[in-house]
Amino acid sequence: MSLSVIAVISRFLEEYRSSTSNKLKVIDAYLLYILLTGAFQFLYCLLVGTFPFNSFLSGFISSVGSFILAVCLRIQINPQNKGDFLSVSPERAFADFLFAHTVLHLVVVNFIG
Amino acid sequence: MALLRLVSLLVFVLALEAQALTPSHYLVASDVDRLQAVLSQPFTDLKSAYFSVVGLSKLGVSVADSNDACSFIKANVDSSSIEALFYAAEASQAISSCEIHVSNETRDSLHAAVSEDSTVSQIHQAVSALSSLGLPLASQEVVSALKARISKEDNVVAITLALQTASRLSQQAELGEILEEIEDLAARLDDLGGVYLQFEEGLEATALFVSAAYALSDHVDMEPPLKEDQVIQLVNSIFSKKSWDSLSEAFSVASAAAALSNNRFHKPVVVSAVGPATVSHSHPLLQLHVTDVLCQPLSSANVLVESATSVASKAAILSQTPFTLRDGIFELNFMASKPASGYYQFSVAVTGDSRLVANHVELKVKVSTKVAINNMDLSVVDKDQSIGTKTTRVEYPNKGKASFIADSHQNFAMTFQLVDETTGVELTPHQTFVRLHNQKTGQEVVFVAEPDSKNLYKFELDTAERKTEFDSISGTYALYLMVGDATLENPVLWNVADVVLKFPDEEAPSTVQSKNLYVPKPEIQHLFREPEKRPPTVLSNTFTALVLSPFLLLLILWFKLGANISNFSFSPSSVLFHVGHAAMLGLMYVYWTHLNMFQTLKYLAIIGSLTFLAGNRMLAQKAVKRHEGK
Repeated sequence: MSLSVIAVISRFLEEYRSSTSNKLKVIDAYLLYILLTGAFQFLYCLLVGTFPFNSFLSGFISSVGSFILAVCLRIQINPQNKGDFLSVSPERAFADFLFAHTVLHLVVVNFIG
Repeated sequence: MALLRLVSLLVFVLALEAQALTPSHYLVASDVDRLQAVLSQPFTDLKSAYFSVVGLSKLGVSVADSNDACSFIKANVDSSSIEALFYAAEASQAISSCEIHVSNETRDSLHAAVSEDSTVSQIHQAVSALSSLGLPLASQEVVSALKARISKEDNVVAITLALQTASRLSQQAELGEILEEIEDLAARLDDLGGVYLQFEEGLEATALFVSAAYALSDHVDMEPPLKEDQVIQLVNSIFSKKSWDSLSEAFSVASAAAALSNNRFHKPVVVSAVGPATVSHSHPLLQLHVTDVLCQPLSSANVLVESATSVASKAAILSQTPFTLRDGIFELNFMASKPASGYYQFSVAVTGDSRLVANHVELKVKVSTKVAINNMDLSVVDKDQSIGTKTTRVEYPNKGKASFIADSHQNFAMTFQLVDETTGVELTPHQTFVRLHNQKTGQEVVFVAEPDSKNLYKFELDTAERKTEFDSISGTYALYLMVGDATLENPVLWNVADVVLKFPDEEAPSTVQSKNLYVPKPEIQHLFREPEKRPPTVLSNTFTALVLSPFLLLLILWFKLGANISNFSFSPSSVLFHVGHAAMLGLMYVYWTHLNMFQTLKYLAIIGSLTFLAGNRMLAQKAVKRHEGK
């Protein structure tokens, strides 16, 4: 059972390494970074406590929001999805990404206290 | 059908009667004397002489030295002034055998004053002067002049003067229109709470209106359009002030009082009790003042008690019983009907004159009595009742000779009866208290004695049960009986006996300190909100480092992937874009530390629009490059 899981995972990683373009890997690295940041914040909250709660919430939501926006960027940039996003060029996707981030950070900084 | 109409009419009339007002403000004898004193002040000028002389004559009193007054008037009259002539003429008419002679020119000037060009006040003064001096005047001219002036000067004071003027004219003149002004003016009165009716111009205007209205109504022999309740409300307004600011105000009140006490149509009646409305065996007579507004007794009236009912039992004691007049006071011997003590509602009617207003009065009369305490029996009863009770009788006002001893196995009991001293009827006063007073410690405990169904009062003290009230302090207590009620003439405080109480579990007797509520209380220190406990700095720093560490990982991964900025074109738009973007991130930091949302949005709008334009250009260039590259 465990052997098949490991086999699946190693095959997945191999496929990933070979078939994903560099651009997407860059974004994936960014996604991993965001994920870890959010996870560590959550860990702190579990271990030490929720004071100050508003700061924790804003930090966590920043992580989650950034993750989502980056995922959106990745989807829109991926040339395999070109058929779904005919009107959205990669530049446009990036511009949207930046604008959404501006709004997100405005809210986050407001709430961080 | 006719019977139904009669019944409804009767009900309507009864309903009206039930709502009839009685004067709540009126002049008493001292007020009338004060009014007279104000009007009797020495004259300073012709105007004050007029107010004093004419005012006193309205009160039915003549001025102190009439010859002196007459010579004063003659000396101060100025024939060229209509006003001076008016004062002089009116005042001299009020003094007997005082005549003022006027020349023909003066007479002509008075006649000339009666025209549409003079004010109502001038017309009034001229007409009154002519009338008082006995000179002829053309009434119809006056009427037309007044009508013209009323339409121009539509205020309360002017119209009142017009009414007063009209009352001096010949009865053949057409006074109908001016008479209607009474009703119009009455409509302008302000009703305050259903009690007062007055002009917003004040007391003087209201009082002068009343005297003018009745003067004119009497002159034309037509009842003024004032309802009875309105008359009483006017009485309340005019006589609510018992000291007057000025001579003219006092004069107006005297005028109004004279008008209301002596006109052909309405005569308000003032009914009040002499002293408190209380009767008892020592004072069996109920005495009433029944007077007009000038505090003159209505000697010709018949005063009748329509009904007198007990408030408690609603039983009627008297019906249709007359009062007898003695020395200006109406009396009735109420105790002759042997009423029980308590309160009685009297309904009094004053008849004998069709002009009487507010002649049905409700009065609450108190019948007081003296209380006697009978059969005061004190005993100490054993709880298990194995030993027989020993009852001692104590007579009021003596004190029981021996003290009574009660310990925790015994009850102390007291029974007595309260009766009316004269009639022997049992009474239940409002306050029957038993007070135990410890002379040594100053402590006192009060209990209530309750009557049973046979009106026999009982008080029982269970020593064990009541020990908390006494703080378990044993000792000698003086026993007092307190009896009081509004209808008792002799409230009782009687030291009946001494009682020695023995409580079990006695603590050391501490002197009872009277509770002092008015000492300064302990100061409250305000506790500011404590800041919440924070985790230790080491822990926070560790986690900060931990949270920032994935950034290092990101940089490493990106380096490994070969992400670089080699393609960076130094075009102005891309430089501007990156600078603008960095500025936006910097703004976020500044927002966190210094700014508020509004300021941030302002800066963000500026920087953001620049960045947007630059970024747009830059991305467009990149897109072109990408298409070219493809």
